[in-house]
Order: sequence, then C-alpha cells, then structure tokens
Amino acid sequence: MKKFKLPRLTGGLLLAGMILPTGAVQASDAETIIQNKCVACHTEEKAEPLQMSRMSHQRKTPEGWLMTIARMQVMHGLEVTDDERRTLVKYFADKQGLAPEETEGSRYAMERRLNTMESFESTSFEEMCSRCHSGARVKLQRRPASEWEHLVHFHLGQWPTLEYQAMSRDRDWMDLAFKQMVPELAADFPLQSASWDKWQSVKSVPVSGSWSFSAQIAGKGDVRGVMSVSGGKDDQYKVSIEGEYADGSALKGSGTAIVYTGYEWRANLAVDGVKMRQVFALSADGSELTGRMFEAVHDEAGMDFSAIRTGSKAKLLSIQPGYIRAGSTEVLTIVGAGLGTKISLGDGIKVVSEMYRDDNKVVVQVTANATAKPGSRDVKAGKAEGAVLNVYDQIDSVKVVPDFAVARVGGNGGSTPKYNAHFQAEAWMNGADGEPGTEDDMRIGFVPAKWHVEPFDAQAEADRDTHFAGRMDEKSGLFTTAGSGPNPERRMSTNNAGNLKVIAEVMEGANALSAEGQMIVTIQRWNNPPLP
Amino acid sequence: MKHLKPVNNKAHTLTKAVAEDQVEEVVAMQSIAGCTATTDPGWEIDAFGGVTSLCQPMESDLYGCADPCWWPAQVPDMMNTYPDWNEKAANSADNWRNLGTVFPADKD
Repeated sequence: MKKFKLPRLTGGLLLAGMILPTGAVQASDAETIIQNKCVACHTEEKAEPLQMSRMSHQRKTPEGWLMTIARMQVMHGLEVTDDERRTLVKYFADKQGLAPEETEGSRYAMERRLNTMESFESTSFEEMCSRCHSGARVKLQRRPASEWEHLVHFHLGQWPTLEYQAMSRDRDWMDLAFKQMVPELAADFPLQSASWDKWQSVKSVPVSGSWSFSAQIAGKGDVRGVMSVSGGKDDQYKVSIEGEYADGSALKGSGTAIVYTGYEWRANLAVDGVKMRQVFALSADGSELTGRMFEAVHDEAGMDFSAIRTGSKAKLLSIQPGYIRAGSTEVLTIVGAGLGTKISLGDGIKVVSEMYRDDNKVVVQVTANATAKPGSRDVKAGKAEGAVLNVYDQIDSVKVVPDFAVARVGGNGGSTPKYNAHFQAEAWMNGADGEPGTEDDMRIGFVPAKWHVEPFDAQAEADRDTHFAGRMDEKSGLFTTAGSGPNPERRMSTNNAGNLKVIAEVMEGANALSAEGQMIVTIQRWNNPPLP
Repeated sequence: MKHLKPVNNKAHTLTKAVAEDQVEEVVAMQSIAGCTATTDPGWEIDAFGGVTSLCQPMESDLYGCADPCWWPAQVPDMMNTYPDWNEKAANSADNWRNLGTVFPADKD
C-alpha cells in the first residue's frame, strides 16, 4: 500500500475547560490526600519517602499533572475537591516536574499556541502519537519503559477502536506500539535525566519585584509596560500589570500567580475586564520571564511576552517599532531594564531628541539618513543591549503570518466559544540578490495591511464559503468565525465551515503588495484539555 | 479500484485524485498541535485538505463517530469515558446546543 505523505498544516483550537489554579496550596497536605484518596487503586511501594505505584514513576508539567488528576476524576471516580487537586498538582509538579531544558521546543502547547505546525524527526512518533493529539503532550512527559508500556495498554483499553483506524488496521499496530514505540519513547523521554537531577539542586529564586515587559499582539501590535509582583509564600504571588499599546491606549490588570517546579509561572489576571492567563518560564538566574499572555476563553488572542526584572541587569527587550525607513524620522521606544543615558542605534541612524525616559523605557525621535544602508543595527542604551533595529529602503514583499491557520465555528448557543483567527502582515526586503523568497531576504517587521478573504478553490466558491464561514476585519486582520450548528441556508444544512484564502494588501508608495495565506474554518471541539 | 465504480460526487473526486496521483499532495494535516492527522477522515480537515468531504453537517452523524471514539482527543468518546455526554441531546441535529465541553472546569 502506498504510504501517504501528509502536508503539514497548522491548527487553531478552542480553549475551554480548566486552567491551572493559582489559589491557595498547602503542599504538605499532598501525601495525606494521596494516602486517603489514591490507595483504592494505587499501592504504596515505600513509606519513607512515599513511593506509590504508577504516580511516582512519571514526570510532567503542571498542565500534564492537572490532566492526569482530572482524568482520574473523569475516568476512575476519584473524588477530590478543587483545593485538593491544586495541592496535588503543585506537589507533583514540584517533586516530579520537568527541567527547563526538557520543555524546550514544546512550550507552545502550554502557551496555547495552537496554530503551531508540529514536525517531528520520528515518523513512527507522528504515526503513533501525534495523529490524534499534539506530539507536545507526549514530549512533555518522562517515563521509564514500563510506564510507557502502561500508557499503550491504557490507550487500547480506553479507546479500543483505535485498532481499526487508519495506521492501525493496515499494519501490525500492537507490535509497533510495544516493540518499537515504547523503547523509542523510553530512550527519548526517560524518567531519569541529568537535566532533572541538576535542576533539583538549583536554588529557586523569588519572582517578587518590578518587571519591565515588552510584548507583541496581532491587531494592536507592540505593547510595553511594568509588571509588579509581590508575595512569594508557598510560591504564590500577587501580580499587577500596567502598560500601553503602540497606539497609546492603556493596558491594566491584576491577579494572582503561582510558580511550579521553581520556574513555571502561571497567572490568572483580569486585564481591562478580560480574563487572561500568563504562561511564562523564569530564567535560571531569576532575571527574565518569557512566554505568552492570552485570553482565558479565546486563547487564540494572545501576546508574545518577555520581561526583565528591574535592577537585575542592563538589557534591552525590544525597540518598538523594530524598523525604520531610510530617509524618515520616527518616534521609537526602547524597552528594557538598566537603560543607560547614551543611546546608540548604529550607522546612519541619529537620535534627534529624547522625548521621555523612565526605568523601563526611553522614547526617542530618530532620523534615518536617506543613504543609510539597509540592514539590522544593534541598539544600545548605555550598557543595555539586546534589541535590533531594522533599516529598510523599501518593502519588497509581504507574508501572511500565520500562512496557514485553523479556526473553528462556535457560539450560537452552543457550549464552545468561537475559535477566531488573527493574522499579521510581515514585510520583507529582497536582499542583495534582488529576489523575494531567497535566503538573503531580510525581515522588516509587522506592518499595517488591508485584509480580505477569498474562496480557496472552486468548491469553496461553489459552496459560498466566504459568505458563510465568518467575517474578516479589514483593518485588524481578525477573522471572526460564524456560529456553530447546522446551517439550513447551506447545501445539506452543512456547518459554517470553509476553506479560504487570506489576503493582505500592503501599500508601498503607489504599489500594492499582496500576500496570501490559507485558513480552514472548521468545526468545534468539545474535548479541550490544557495540552492540545 | 477497477471493480468499483464511483456513484456519487465524493467517490468521483476520490477516483479522480487517485488517477491523477494527487493523494500524496492533498491528504492534509500531518501533525498540527491538537488536530487529528490521519484518522480517516480527520475531525478538522478532509483527505483533500479542505472541508467539503467531511461528514457535514457534523451533527448529522455525530454519535456514529463519538460512540466508537473515532476522534477521542477532540470529541468525547461515549464508549468508555463519557457515556452520558449526549443524555440531553438525543437528537444531535436538534439538541447540539446541549452538548457540553468535557474537561472539568476549575472554580477559580
């Protein structure tokens, strides 16, 4: 039989369901809960220190442990209160978590970046694991072979029809699962690791203090501000943020946070009346936080976020905007910590005046010479470095980001919210060869664009997908999907699904540059745990 | 395939795709964070990288798929895990609004 080779696409999924708690936790109670609530199924292997069957032989992220305990509730009748579940998640994430480097390359799942295109070196891993759920869900676990084996048995027992799905019925699935996949997983994601041994001896750093942050969000662009963190007892904090978007509008919010495993920062905030969630990683020296802040209900709406602790070191997070056209004068904001007085933006770029300065930013008026050579410049504010300013003479091409997205219908009285899609237009220069799409192209940055959608193919046109699947906001690039449920106005009362071209138009002088992406508007999902 | 004749549009499309050797190009979704990849058809995208060959409207055949846990990562499987998922939505085409999300909500 011919082996299908599948083009990779990116996906966007709904967030519903549970988010990790940030409430009160008494870690010392965890073993009492385990001994009272878990012994109906699990056996005690050792009393001191407590070692239990199954659960003591795995390591996971906070989200992974939350899913495990929730599964015990749903599938096996475990009865715990929300407080008890919080206690257990904290206990397990601290005691049997992942070292920071063990999460590298898979953090997108925790950060709910569901338009991430997953790609794995192992074809067998793709065919066995990530054909139904994200590969990251697996890569964020560590088990010995015996526990990976249990996981195979669990899948087969819980979802027995998997054996007659494609990639099962057409090959010796059991043999592959036990003889090939289990050893592979045990080798790639083992319980014991040098990283974890080392991480356990690293002293945790309190997160309290003032943090300068820089962020970027589709639709509104650059964001900057200050995040204040206080508390720290039992790794719990109060957090507030205050900042501004590029257009000057304010951003303000507050909430609570908890740190798992010494570095996994999770916060729930209300920001300008919207529930938001922060999933950040704290750097080993405790000076930087990076990750994503997103809406709790619409997690497709979120910002890339990085922060540096004020007073920790001199470093730049960004210059906003991160580009300037040769021959123009612009107002740029340099964001970071420990910002020195001498601002340097590189060859051909002159600071005309410093307009504003505080601990986390400097606002400068800048002129780029008409003859400034296109290319990137290192930005410096005294000893603070780390940001790059792109100088360009003209925009040669544009890309739609993401170039493939999955959105989902929702609402209309159903239990699942819409999963909308957010697009940005990324400007590029051709580079020395004068050709777009080659290796020497230089990224300029995200620029404003005019947006619309078109049918992706003849079928989409015949089915009037552009009419039924939702609406694109011409200015912001936000596509709001249509309602869920059968639509009697469509052929066969079909859903408001669609296959669309996403088109961005950027004006460069009198010329319109356009770029194209693809968006699948598809149906909702009802099973939507923290790790997709 | 030589003993089978396509009788509807979907079958004609498939036959044409196979004849033109398009299948490798058009079968979509290898590994997207949380989307089905090779379960035939996928929950999100059909074998042609679009949505027109999915079972649509999805509600018309939902339980035929949810019962045998065809996409258990996306749709609650009613065989083992969520046997009562549709207790308030016996007719999915009419009562789909009564179908809830299944991951337990935190009371935070």
